Amino acid sequence: MKGIVLDDRALLMVESDTVATALDDLERGTELSVAAVGSDRDRVTLTEDIAFGHKFAIERIDAGDPVEKYGERIGSASRPIEPGEWVHTHNCESDRGRGDRTAEGANA
Amino acid sequence: MSSRGVTPTEELSFDGYRRDRGSVGIRNRLVVLPSVICSRTVADRIADAVPEAVSTPHDHGCAQLGDDSDRTERTFVGVASNPNVAGAVVVGLGCETIQSGTIVDQLRERDVPVSEVVIQEAGGTEECYRAGVERAEGILANAREEPAGPLGLSDLTVGVVSGDFRPSSLGSADPLVGEAVDRIVDAGGRALIAGGERIDSHGEAIADRLATDAAEVGFEAVTTGTDRSSPVSSPRQRAAASSFEEVAAPWNDHPIRDVLPYGASATHDSGVALVDTPSEFGEAATALAAAGAQLVIHVTADGDPAGHPIVPTIKLTGDGATYEALSTDIEFFAAETESDALISSVVNTARGDETRSEAHGITTFAITRVGPST
Amino acid sequence: MSEFAGYRRDDGRIGVRNRVAVIPISVAASTIAERIAAEAGAGVTSTPHQMGTEQPAAARAQTERVLTGIGRNPNVGAALVVYLGTEVADVDGIADGIADVGTPVETLSIRSAGGARDTVSAGVSIADELSDEIASARRETADASELIFAVECGGSDATSGIASNPAVGNACDRLIDDGGTACFSETPEFIGAEHVLAERCADEETRRRLLERVDRREAIADMMGVDLRESQPSPGNKEGGLTTIEEKSLGAISKGGTSPIRGIVDYGEPLPVGGGLVLMDTPGYDVESVVGKVAGGAQIAAFTTGRGSTTGNPIAPVIKVTGNARTWDRMANNMDVNASTILDGEPIDSVGERIYETLLSVADGRPTEAERRGMEEFAINEIQPRELEALGEPV
Repeated sequence: MKGIVLDDRALLMVESDTVATALDDLERGTELSVAAVGSDRDRVTLTEDIAFGHKFAIERIDAGDPVEKYGERIGSASRPIEPGEWVHTHNCESDRGRGDRTAEGANA
Repeated sequence: MSSRGVTPTEELSFDGYRRDRGSVGIRNRLVVLPSVICSRTVADRIADAVPEAVSTPHDHGCAQLGDDSDRTERTFVGVASNPNVAGAVVVGLGCETIQSGTIVDQLRERDVPVSEVVIQEAGGTEECYRAGVERAEGILANAREEPAGPLGLSDLTVGVVSGDFRPSSLGSADPLVGEAVDRIVDAGGRALIAGGERIDSHGEAIADRLATDAAEVGFEAVTTGTDRSSPVSSPRQRAAASSFEEVAAPWNDHPIRDVLPYGASATHDSGVALVDTPSEFGEAATALAAAGAQLVIHVTADGDPAGHPIVPTIKLTGDGATYEALSTDIEFFAAETESDALISSVVNTARGDETRSEAHGITTFAITRVGPST
Repeated sequence: MSEFAGYRRDDGRIGVRNRVAVIPISVAASTIAERIAAEAGAGVTSTPHQMGTEQPAAARAQTERVLTGIGRNPNVGAALVVYLGTEVADVDGIADGIADVGTPVETLSIRSAGGARDTVSAGVSIADELSDEIASARRETADASELIFAVECGGSDATSGIASNPAVGNACDRLIDDGGTACFSETPEFIGAEHVLAERCADEETRRRLLERVDRREAIADMMGVDLRESQPSPGNKEGGLTTIEEKSLGAISKGGTSPIRGIVDYGEPLPVGGGLVLMDTPGYDVESVVGKVAGGAQIAAFTTGRGSTTGNPIAPVIKVTGNARTWDRMANNMDVNASTILDGEPIDSVGERIYETLLSVADGRPTEAERRGMEEFAINEIQPRELEALGEPV
């Protein structure tokens, strides 16, 4: 598997990523070491349950800032995201294929 | 007693199936509906294993956007709540855009006996197939087949697909259908006309004949939707080249009491409604089935032999060569047919007589797309 | 050198199956084609679709290209073309296009045969005769370099980008090292990853075309006036942890491996033999996408799926690869290769080797799970009027 495994339970695809993927169903309160990946902190504590395959933030991401996985931008934070928080459609949105924005612009 | 309080004359009466949801069907089908192309093979297998079941195989249900996706979903719900449907098994894959659970919820709201099986939840195609057959048999075992009757023309909702606008259709078949529609509408029944090309090419004349508020609203909705921006298809060109009198012949210019978007269900009491569907038979018959037609009259110059899984179809051609080539598939040659014979055929079909396409069992089911796959 | 045994065709290409394809020209012949295939003997398959009898010119051209390409696929030993008799599509052109590669072709008109019932019985007789005619073909040794390998992903989840796609990508690299062709497509699933692909294009023209096609697919969302996320990622993708199309794309592109991108062809256009990694511009909609590549000549496909897609194809065997252990356990009857072992530490290279071995053994005749269960979904991508307008195509 490519990437950096965090305590056998989560995967960071590339060291600079701001989100990691759960390799198991992880419970709220789980602590994971991120010291090895150049984060500004040693550990991340999950603030909610993270289902297998879903993502959590390993550092704070401000609203509007890029969310990064695979060393690439996968979208933008639609509101501030704290370390350990689940990152999904409720707080991360796509920057591409936004015909809704184009339609709004046309109607404005 | 007829449900409309009119006692039908004996030669024009028939018995049907009364549904809890208020409608009466002339067939008692269990529909196995895949919510996406990925589950169509399993749906077909379930339907093959249960004698009363039919499947509605289609190419859609995922990677669709906006009004294109909405129309597909609306059509699924409409088709599965057609009066001929005793109950439905919705077969999902699990990961698709149009989720089987959403369709099931809408069918429950409409009091359609329904059950859901999902390939990814069942643990694969074989498990899903077995569960689907069980569910289908369960629905049929519990279905209360309340006989309804005697019923008459006033209880009928007849769909009309006539959209090739060939000279033979315009010249002889459409006026014949118009006479039959006259009889049905005059008796208090309903006619649903596949009218996409007619709305495209004769919108102003149609607007002048809208007889209800609902029809005004419906017409506004279908003519201002982005759907109408489509380029000119060949049938639409031929419709535009025809007079309004010609394109209105199948409903003999009765007032238009509603205009329905593709996939929507008819709610008017009696009389004529136009349905916004293109003329391709499979797509049009599906739209009319979704709107609530119990049977369809299909005018065809080409002679498309297929029937439809939900609605029995009576075929009529004005083209002598087509009738000669396909006389085992087509009921009537318009030039040699009186409207009495067509009405008798409608009533006999409502009584349960098999149409030619029901006898050979070749059916087609298709849904019109208005946006590209993503 | 990697070898397998396949069916050598008159034009020198190699098939991995020896099927009689019953190909309807329009929706009006589609159910009859299905019925013929169902009633005829084993090895007869149909390609039902919903294309109308009177499509606009550009849409019709695409339908004709796909139907011709399907008939020309080297897995097709013989073809029966069924049509109503009034279609605008060029029936003779399609039949001739198939016959050009040496494949026996018969045509059957519903109007000439005297209707639905007679067409089915005549069609079954013809299909069975064609089956007899091609039954004498024997498998002979062929080289992996003669394979065109289609790669697809569908029902993706987070494991797709981590496990199954990189593993299939590794198998693509192996095939290309052996001189073969690998093709992946699904242009909407390049959105957000196109800069990565662009860097791998072998020449400037390929790079330019790739970026132009991605723009065109992204513009579909503008055309429909909605957020692409209504369909991409799909509900199952999201449940499986994929949040945005960019994330899905970045995981999806790894299924093509790491070789240089030699070109990008249109939907259903012929793919080169011995061509390395070639892209095809298709929708992400799996069944339409697989059909495009099979029409392009792919004899065999691998399909990665985290959630558990079960679809196959009537012409080409489809190998299902999952990186999700739960899907492997729950849907074992529909999956061929378990790539979830990557999450437990099996190297990607090792799983890639297993997939490549599976590819060669399926090419050799081993049936896939989809084949065993008769999963033969088929659909043609239709160019919609709104797209034609946006492209400024004549109608």
